[in-house]
Amino acid sequence: MVKQTSLISRLQSIAGADGVTPAAKLSAFAVDGLTPQAAVAPSTYEQVAEVMSYAHAEELAVIPWGGGSHMHIGNLPSRYDIALSLSRLDQIVEHEPADLTVTCQAGITLAALQRRLRPDGQLVPLDSASAERATIGGLLAVNASGASRHAHGALRDFTIGLRVVTGDGRLTRAGGRVVKNVAGYDLCKLYVGSLGTLGVIVEATFKLAPLPRAQRTAITTFDSAARACAFAAELQRRGLSLRSLQLLNPAAASGADLPVSVRSFALVLALAGTPQAVERSHREIIDLARESAAGMAPVDGADKLEDSLRQSASPDASALLCKATALPSRLPALIEAFEAVGGSPSVIALPTVGILHASWPTVDDVEDTVRGVRDATAGVGGSLVIEVCPRDLKRSLDVFPDVSGPSFDLMRRVKREFDPAGILSPGRFLGRL
Amino acid sequence: MLDFQVVTNPALIRDLRRAVGAKWVLDAPEDLIVYEYDATIERGMPEAVVLPDSDEQVAAAVRIARRHNVPVTARGAGTGLSGGAIPCDGGVVIATSRMNRILEVDPENRLAVVEPGVINLDVSEAVAPYGLYYAPDPSSQKACTMGGNVAENAGGPHCLRYGTTTNHVLGLQIVTPEGDLLWLGDKTPDPPGYDLTGLVVGSEGTLCIVTKIIVRLLDRPQSTVTLLAIFDEVDQASRAVSAIIGQGIVPAALEMMDRNTMRAVEEAVHAGYPPDAGAVLLIEVDGLEEETREQADSVRALCDELGARELRIGFSLEDRERLWAGRKGALGALGRLAPSYYILDGVVPRTKLPAVLRGVYEACDRFGFQVANVFHAGDGNLHPNILFDERVPGATQRVLDLGAVIMRLCVDAGGTITGEHGVGYEKRNYMSWIFSEDDLEVMGRVKLAFGTGGAFNPGKVFPSSKGCGEVSSRMKGAIAKAGPDAYV
Ligand SMILES: Cc1cc2nc3c(=O)[nH]c(=O)nc-3n(C[C@H](O)[C@H](O)[C@H](O)COP(=O)(O)OP(=O)(O)OC[C@H]3O[C@@H](n4cnc5c(N)ncnc54)[C@H](O)[C@@H]3O)c2cc1C
Repeated sequence: MVKQTSLISRLQSIAGADGVTPAAKLSAFAVDGLTPQAAVAPSTYEQVAEVMSYAHAEELAVIPWGGGSHMHIGNLPSRYDIALSLSRLDQIVEHEPADLTVTCQAGITLAALQRRLRPDGQLVPLDSASAERATIGGLLAVNASGASRHAHGALRDFTIGLRVVTGDGRLTRAGGRVVKNVAGYDLCKLYVGSLGTLGVIVEATFKLAPLPRAQRTAITTFDSAARACAFAAELQRRGLSLRSLQLLNPAAASGADLPVSVRSFALVLALAGTPQAVERSHREIIDLARESAAGMAPVDGADKLEDSLRQSASPDASALLCKATALPSRLPALIEAFEAVGGSPSVIALPTVGILHASWPTVDDVEDTVRGVRDATAGVGGSLVIEVCPRDLKRSLDVFPDVSGPSFDLMRRVKREFDPAGILSPGRFLGRL
Repeated sequence: MLDFQVVTNPALIRDLRRAVGAKWVLDAPEDLIVYEYDATIERGMPEAVVLPDSDEQVAAAVRIARRHNVPVTARGAGTGLSGGAIPCDGGVVIATSRMNRILEVDPENRLAVVEPGVINLDVSEAVAPYGLYYAPDPSSQKACTMGGNVAENAGGPHCLRYGTTTNHVLGLQIVTPEGDLLWLGDKTPDPPGYDLTGLVVGSEGTLCIVTKIIVRLLDRPQSTVTLLAIFDEVDQASRAVSAIIGQGIVPAALEMMDRNTMRAVEEAVHAGYPPDAGAVLLIEVDGLEEETREQADSVRALCDELGARELRIGFSLEDRERLWAGRKGALGALGRLAPSYYILDGVVPRTKLPAVLRGVYEACDRFGFQVANVFHAGDGNLHPNILFDERVPGATQRVLDLGAVIMRLCVDAGGTITGEHGVGYEKRNYMSWIFSEDDLEVMGRVKLAFGTGGAFNPGKVFPSSKGCGEVSSRMKGAIAKAGPDAYV
């Protein structure tokens, strides 16, 4: 075991004195209550590689840090020596608007990146409640996805290149900067969603989307989740210009201050596209709502609405927060089963994608509730990740679904090859990899 | 060039026959010869070809090959353009032609489960009654298989807006080198753990054999508009490509043909291209009627501004098909220009298209070959077709050398050596132009994790000095198989 003082002086020799956090401030890098021995913020990719080589040689456990906005996701780390912060790697490397791609360093926040792209009429097609804080590297590591996934797919779909430092300190490249590329194995897929267990992402290249020329929001209301889902499916079938569809159960709708009755399920529809197509889509939504006896709620200030939607399932305000996935056709049953678990969860679902987030601001018996949501999810053949739960519970609870069998063996072998010393975010991933 | 001997191993053949039935194992030279090539110019003879009927039979064949210590190469329709299905080291070829069932269509959740031998176009036809389709549309879609598409991460004209195979595959059932069957991914989004499905897509049959595929389906767009813009110069056309994308319009498809291609097409299909035109763009937009109308207007204005000499527009299916006819007939028509042609596949950032295309013409001039460019311009995905006569001594080798020069141009422009056809055998040695030794070493770790070694499709993807079979032009045979209107 390396002494803390020699660890810190070694890190200082790599990243400079101002790249290493003073011991008194280390608690800012705590993960699930564990505080590292040191935190380092390299300012070049080579320094990241050097830190990793050193950690590999000394078998020091490293957890990569972005903005810290998603550190609640994952199992309790089994060890934690160094927080590797990407905060000083926050530049745009290349943006050629007519190529509709951007290359940026992993430590840039999503919001900062979007601000840089906006004047050119472009965006990374990803939305996040914590865009101001969340970094690109962190969002990639947790495979974050927001409501616009309906229109644009997930990070795996528009990430075309990554630079990654492996567990043994090699600076490597996956993919490239062009939108089509089948040279070699698509390692980008492997790194996206690997929760910092296979490598440290230092740079990413994305396909961009043009900013929509017109936008509008509509809220329709229903007396059941099933009706809301059927309505959403019909809108999808018609190919209307929708960027996102979000279904809120009554608890979430009132939490978000939507102007709807206390027993209503609300479908919040973000329209985006060319001006006439958006107008036509809006008209069709109104007509269809009338035909299917759905209500329409007034919308004032679409921006405000998005913010309050985001807050209504925020990790900070949750004692328990889970993400469940299922076939879209099974979502109504899943929502019903979640509500039956009790404790009045706020549920926000993406009905056309098959994802829901359920949050409990407070819970009496957490273990009982966790058991309940696990059974509910299993009942519809979905899978469940506990994203936020009380810290104590994490000691015993595996927040990921149970895994066993041959495909998990394969994952374990992948982990061993990419991180032979087992020092990258040890214990945090599926099956405590 | 390395000639290997086909040593028939009676015990291997016997075991395979026991597993899948005598009639579904081929070992006679006259049968094997059909399986020694794909749509490229390499060849390699297998020891045996197995035609399994089920995932279990594939697994059994893999176990038998392992026991006899011979490699396995999967084969779909053999339309591959990088030598992927050629058994470089002999061994067993597993041909998926009998595994051609669409196992499940779930219109409500917009997905289907198919066997690997299903022909790409058959998926869209099977789901058409539900108003759905399978988006990736390689130009060989009447012939190529879903297994081959997964292995190559196949693209196609409409991948500009909708993405390639990898964006539409949710899960895979595979056979491991040990001969075990297992599932990666499933029908739901974000399955837990590493995205091994995404890793296997595009791995060119070197990690596992794919035995079932879960694909995502899309709703048919309500309206589609096709535009054809004719330019005097290639340069103008490629500037129009950047301008359209730069304007925030991502068409469903954005294809280009140059003068040589148009000349061949004109003779074959009579598409009405002016003989002195330099390039034609085919632009398709889809979505709501309002959207396609607005986008078509913008595209038209941009092309005008950049000096298009003629614009045609098609709204009805019939008119649109007429506009596409030239593009779709292009590859077949190239046969009129020369006895053989060699299809290249490189990608550059879209803004580099004008410069790289100029470089391609210069290089071809220097080597003394004609070239016909017909390609997915919107993605920056070039397909220069080098026209040559394989009977001229040394011509084939010079064409391969020219291919390398063109690949280098793509790489130097910040691009890559393959956008959709794969590395396969042909381009292994260019891998080190875009990847460092460390990059390749890390890719090799994936192979270690899968425990593949040389078990599946050896001699592919990774750089090596070893040769594979004979070089002989078989391109036309394979292209004919892709159907009379196949096009790249
Ligand atoms: C005229 C023509 C036009 C073309 N146009 C396009 C185009 O627009 N876009 C494009 O992307 N490609 C195109 N191609 C290339 C080719 O059609 C594609 O690469 C296609 O995906 C190959 O499918 P296949 O069934 O013929 O595979 P094959 O050629 O038989 O095999 C290709 C690779 O797949 C592997 N493989 C096959 N089945 C399996 C399996 N079940 N499990 C694991 N590995 C497997 C093989 O081992 C091999 O490495 C074109 C080819 C031709 C001849």
